Amino acid sequence: MTTVVEATGLTKKYGKFAAVDDASFRIEENRIYGLLGRNGAGKTTIMSLLTAQVFASSGSIRVFGQSPVENAEVLGNICFIKESQTYPEDFRPRHVFASAPWFFPNWDQDFADRLVADFRVPMNRRIKKLSRGQLSAVGVIVGLASRAPLTFFDEPYLGLDAVARQTFYDRLLEDFAEHPRTVILSTHLIDEVSNLLEHVIVIDDGRIIIDEESEDLRGSATIVAGAKSAVDGFVAGRDVIHREAIGGLVTATVSHLDEAGRSAARAAGLETSPVSLQQLIVRSTNLSESEEGQKS
Amino acid sequence: MDESRPIFLQIAEAIENDILAGVLLEETQVPSTNEFAAFYRINPATAGKGVNLLVDDGILYKKRGIGMFVAAGSRARLVAKRRDQFEAEYVQPLITEAEKLGITGPQLEDMINRNRAKQSAHPDKEQAV
Amino acid sequence: MTTIATARGAVRPKAQNRVLAVTRLQFVNRWTMFYLPAIILGAILLLNMAIWYIVLASLPTGTDVAHAEKGFQYTGAVFYIFIYMLVVAVQAISRTFPFALGFGVTRRNYYLGTALSFTILAIAFSVLLTVLSIIELATNGWGAGGHMFTPTYLTNASWGLRFVMYLCLFLFFLFVGSAIASVYVRWRAIGITAFFAILALLIVGGIAIITLGHYWTAVGTWLATTGSVGLTAWLLLPAAIAAIAGFFVLRRATPKS
Repeated sequence: MTTVVEATGLTKKYGKFAAVDDASFRIEENRIYGLLGRNGAGKTTIMSLLTAQVFASSGSIRVFGQSPVENAEVLGNICFIKESQTYPEDFRPRHVFASAPWFFPNWDQDFADRLVADFRVPMNRRIKKLSRGQLSAVGVIVGLASRAPLTFFDEPYLGLDAVARQTFYDRLLEDFAEHPRTVILSTHLIDEVSNLLEHVIVIDDGRIIIDEESEDLRGSATIVAGAKSAVDGFVAGRDVIHREAIGGLVTATVSHLDEAGRSAARAAGLETSPVSLQQLIVRSTNLSESEEGQKS
Repeated sequence: MDESRPIFLQIAEAIENDILAGVLLEETQVPSTNEFAAFYRINPATAGKGVNLLVDDGILYKKRGIGMFVAAGSRARLVAKRRDQFEAEYVQPLITEAEKLGITGPQLEDMINRNRAKQSAHPDKEQAV
Repeated sequence: MTTIATARGAVRPKAQNRVLAVTRLQFVNRWTMFYLPAIILGAILLLNMAIWYIVLASLPTGTDVAHAEKGFQYTGAVFYIFIYMLVVAVQAISRTFPFALGFGVTRRNYYLGTALSFTILAIAFSVLLTVLSIIELATNGWGAGGHMFTPTYLTNASWGLRFVMYLCLFLFFLFVGSAIASVYVRWRAIGITAFFAILALLIVGGIAIITLGHYWTAVGTWLATTGSVGLTAWLLLPAAIAAIAGFFVLRRATPKS
């Protein structure tokens, strides 16, 4: 598998606050990646760094083998769709779609036209007057029709309703199957996109805490619940991601519990239940919080 | 789509179920990876992984330039595999639950026989085995 | 590592195309860049014409009309359009910079493309003003002795020289505008405040030095000898400085949401 993006020790500081803290990861060609995490975790900052919109405090970035900073060759093959994209005042959607081909050599006008119909974007209304959903749709259409070899979607579908979001996922998958490219989606709507993702990178407080194949993550954790003593006895020595207690009952999320382990848990009188990708990520990111809570 | 099990396993199982049920016949073509991906709304690579799993197991094989086909004898092989899994997946939990509820061996046997009689009187259409 | 050469579907966009793409982008909204300033220009002209006619109509009969018309020579109306150009430049950059960055444009190509669009704009409007000035002279001041496009200090020399002077003035205001826009885009409100504070200090400082050193006569002589054409040509120097400074400021700017 060939690497299209390589980040090493990437850090971005605003004063003392580290928005991205020593992040190292690789993005491989023609796969759909999920960049997941809570609001403010650093997803947008990472994407902005990779697309050279923001400058790193330290660390290195290689995109298509080169540094992307002020690199027209690299940037010409990237499309970055932000949720918060600002458009020039007085621009209308037709202006956006008319000018996009000048910047994206792979632009497919037919595809764009079909998407405009799918998402029902009013071509002649001023951008300022568009609803949140229509504005998101404009961004999504540019991202899809650009067919850029490396495409970033930074939660651009937040304004879309559930039907429109499903349309986006469907069109993305269809087009990805026919025109493979590297796609990085950031979102906190994990369950909705989990079927699309091949690989998941989770960022929390600027740090990368998970960097794995989504298929490996699915079902990799198990919730074990029961009486406090039984649970604590069982999870001793195991990798516990998360723990909740109410009265004498404890629920622990254990990572990498195999079938034998699950049988042992049930034999100990404990209840086991599977953990979805979203639950796994939520619990992993909550860990940092609960750890901090315990320290203070 | 089960949220907590790898999707590629679920895809493989779905294809196996179709073979067992006679929906997919031996030596016929199965849908392409992209078609599976579109149908289940999943990543094509994941669909491909599920298909490849079945290829590795000898359930499917690839005809170059055409697509994936169901291998001869695969149904019989799947039946054998499922029978092996039957004990672990159905029988053992049955016994554990029965013990929890205090159902004795003879009572269990009675239940099984009674239900078998019921089902043969009103056959379940899905019974393919 | 996949290089651009091997990445599926990747292309090598030509450098020229990227700069021109930005220029095209600036002109997508022809209203802000061209039509609106032209309309404002027309409005100012009409307004001035109205004033001239009112003044002439209000003169008691027998007064020397030529004497009144002489006063019209000193109208500074045309300067509104130059100042407005500065506003156009600031708007053009502050509105399109984050958008262009979102479309994968390097800051360098963005600046070059925008500079090109401003140059085109300057030439276009210089042509417009020159044509209007020719008409003005031909109609003897729009039939009212007005000199909006040919006031005394913009020498009634050949239209060729007038074109050059207009061009220098437009380039000066457009590129000073882009420098201001760059400061704004990079440092926002704080930057603008600091910029104008420093500018004010420089001006006051300059005036202080000239006054205290009794250089005013020297300045006056220099102004007289350089003449209007020379002065406007000198404006190209600060225009170039503003253009270059603007680039260096923009180079590290980020699109703040």
